[in-house]
Amino acid sequence: MADQTVTQSEEVTAKQIRRMKRFDNPWRNPKLIWGAGILLGIVAIGILGRIFWDPDLVFTGSGMTRQAPVGFENLRGQAGTWAHPLGTDGAGRDVLALLIIGAPNSLFVGVLASLIGMSIGIFLGFSAGFIRGRTDDVIRVLSDVMITIPPLLILVVFQAAYGDINLTMMAILIAAFVWQSPTRLIRAQVLSMRESGYVQMARLSGASTMHIMFREMLPNLVPYLFGSFIANVTTSIVTAVGLEVLGLGPQRIPTLGRTIYEAINSGALIQNLWWWWGIPTILLALMFIGLLLINLGLDEVSNPRLRKL
Amino acid sequence: MNVLDITDLSIDFPTSKGVVHAVSHFSLSIPHGRRVGFIGESGSGKTTTALAAMRMLASPGFVAGGDIKLNGVGGTDILSLNEEEMRRVRLRKISYIPQGAMNSLNPVMRIENQIWDGIIAHEGHVEPSELQRRSREVLAGVGLEPHVGQLYPHELSGGMKQRVCIAIGVCLQPDLIIADEPTSALDVITQRHVMQTLREVQDKIGAGLILIGHDMGLMAQSVDDLAVMKLGELVEFGTVKQIIEDPQHPYTKELISSVPLVGGESFLDSTGSPPIQEDAGDVPLLEFQNVSRVYGSVTALHPMSFKLDGKVPKIISIVGQSGSGKSTMGGLMLGFNAPSTGQVLFKGQDINALSGDAALTFRKEVQAVFQDPYACFNPFYRVDHALKFPFKRFGLARDEAHVEQAMEEACVAVGLDPSLVLRRYPHQLSGGQRQRLIVARALMLSPKLLIADEPVSMVDASLRATILKNIHDLKDKHGISILYITHDLATAYHVSDYVMVLYHGHVVEAGPPKEVIGNPQHAYTRLLIDSIPWPDLARDWGSAEDAKRDLQKLGEIADRPETVFRGDVSGFALQTA
Repeated sequence: MADQTVTQSEEVTAKQIRRMKRFDNPWRNPKLIWGAGILLGIVAIGILGRIFWDPDLVFTGSGMTRQAPVGFENLRGQAGTWAHPLGTDGAGRDVLALLIIGAPNSLFVGVLASLIGMSIGIFLGFSAGFIRGRTDDVIRVLSDVMITIPPLLILVVFQAAYGDINLTMMAILIAAFVWQSPTRLIRAQVLSMRESGYVQMARLSGASTMHIMFREMLPNLVPYLFGSFIANVTTSIVTAVGLEVLGLGPQRIPTLGRTIYEAINSGALIQNLWWWWGIPTILLALMFIGLLLINLGLDEVSNPRLRKL
Repeated sequence: MNVLDITDLSIDFPTSKGVVHAVSHFSLSIPHGRRVGFIGESGSGKTTTALAAMRMLASPGFVAGGDIKLNGVGGTDILSLNEEEMRRVRLRKISYIPQGAMNSLNPVMRIENQIWDGIIAHEGHVEPSELQRRSREVLAGVGLEPHVGQLYPHELSGGMKQRVCIAIGVCLQPDLIIADEPTSALDVITQRHVMQTLREVQDKIGAGLILIGHDMGLMAQSVDDLAVMKLGELVEFGTVKQIIEDPQHPYTKELISSVPLVGGESFLDSTGSPPIQEDAGDVPLLEFQNVSRVYGSVTALHPMSFKLDGKVPKIISIVGQSGSGKSTMGGLMLGFNAPSTGQVLFKGQDINALSGDAALTFRKEVQAVFQDPYACFNPFYRVDHALKFPFKRFGLARDEAHVEQAMEEACVAVGLDPSLVLRRYPHQLSGGQRQRLIVARALMLSPKLLIADEPVSMVDASLRATILKNIHDLKDKHGISILYITHDLATAYHVSDYVMVLYHGHVVEAGPPKEVIGNPQHAYTRLLIDSIPWPDLARDWGSAEDAKRDLQKLGEIADRPETVFRGDVSGFALQTA
């Protein structure tokens, strides 16, 4: 009510008020909301799809091969049917079912790899920043060396040696390459934070090292951790999809990358079977846009200087 | 003739909680060649007013009414100029000398290039030899050698950087110079030199000067007229003499009385004698045995020894400029860093060799108040956390209700209303409230020794006396011995029982405050006291030449430090090696 009277007398528009509210409460950030919405939508496809659509359609020969989506015709002149609304692939698998099963799988690999990477990063970053000295040197050199190694190269060798693996194994392998940047980020923050007034106050209060690290410092790192986590999810998914498109990774579990690999491998590009590779690609793109938006939004949350009024 | 006429100026900042009137109905004229000071606390609108004259208000602030007429551009209202016309006005007609010179210079450009930048932006192409000549001239004008132009900012000291900023500000001979707390990051000795330099160049080019600040003493020594601002309003305006000798507004009176004077009346009403600690025994409370601290090739603290007997609580002041080693001493006493040689003993035990329960007891008995009240609270927790946690950790709490009661009592003891400060987040409290909460925290823990490291240097002037009184009460009413680390000799004079003056890690003068500060013997102590800007027109600061001579003298002292002992106080014994 008070706001409204001010609005009239000072001629502040409703739009301005909305922007200021956003400034005061950074979590009401449109980028963050849109990004989270897109990702939740993909998760919803996975959950609702399993309820309202038959997940068994991912198996070979569930329908006619190379069917077009509804409203389109394939090369044989057959119109798409509602039995397979997004068409079928070269082995007769339903594309919609592939997406329902595959998209959450791709997201799962990314999130799990990032979670493992973050845990390693938090542990090593805190150790390096807090203990300093020799420990810091070892951790810093190790992470710097690891950053220079191209992960795809190593992973290709690993996967070729392992053959067929499951999603969790894949996530663990990728996690071995996404702990470096959180380590460096947290180390830098801890180094500057350990000199701050409230950490000194905690030391004066007789706080244990664990208390200082996890009760005093960690809560203030949350925005950074979130941001780093999302960036890592993106990297992990890119790496996973890269491997899958090369034909590596899990052989029997549908993922978006594997679907694209099979499409390319069966000549879907020259046969104009665009729905086979195109729809998974669009979904991947949406996933990345969602992650990017969340990351930009989190950036503005943790760094008030980026916020505009 | 006036350089600038501000009439009925109002500046608003729209926020989601309504519009904040940063400045309201402000009218003032700056005559040619006159120095006008804007004084007030943080948030009083003094910088906002000056920035409006430059049309450099931070978004979303805007001028809601009034006009600013600049006579250098034919008396037009500068609010009506377009962006390009305004660009031409800045630096050429009005120049701005910023607060933090260290952040205002481009770190990858030589000094002379940065001066040339301004000249070229206003005059187009100028011959290199002419640029060279003019940059040397302005540098000479602020007392810098010509070779300084070839240097990068990181090669200069803080005072030199600030003088470079002045040189840039005056290189086009503007009609008006706005200096926004130009010396707040400098120590008193450098401050005096920089202010004198600014006054002299301003005199020479005959420009008007707006000096923004919060230090009444500095104003008294630097300006002709004084505008006192409070909450966006001009509460009093007049010549410095008139304002200092006969202030009308209660706020002005408060500002003047908040400046402690050496030899003046004490702002503390010492009543009664401090309680004597019977259980102390014969072992000194705190003892330095030949302690020194070396950082790489720099010796922050030369070997020194002293004994502080805790029986009769004392306040020992350690004064000195930044870099004199006083904060290093504080860190050593708290066990935050270990001495390079010697031992720090607390109740006869080496504090760096304590473990387990003994270390926890040491932490309980030695507490601190730090300089920055904004950093001392974890922004993630309510302020209660900082008070509750140590209370529980040291086993003082019986139950939750006891903790609450102790917190409320401590708040009342430092003059805070518990219902207004507790259960709030740190950013909801002012700096003064936070610093008093830190004092309350120390009170709750009832330590034997308190290290107060510049406890009032970041608090608004009007609150300093109150907080110092709180700290003084810790000694008088609660029997806590205090080491007061400060650069402010005037407060040390009133608060302490014994003063040590530190210079480059050496104790140069030590003794009771009436002797050391009231009648200094060592050249450095005398220089420190002479450099304090007193809010007293009779005590003149001298010219820039004097200040420069004093700085040179300081360089000579650095080579042969010797301690002047000015008498002893029972319970404290100092020896330097």
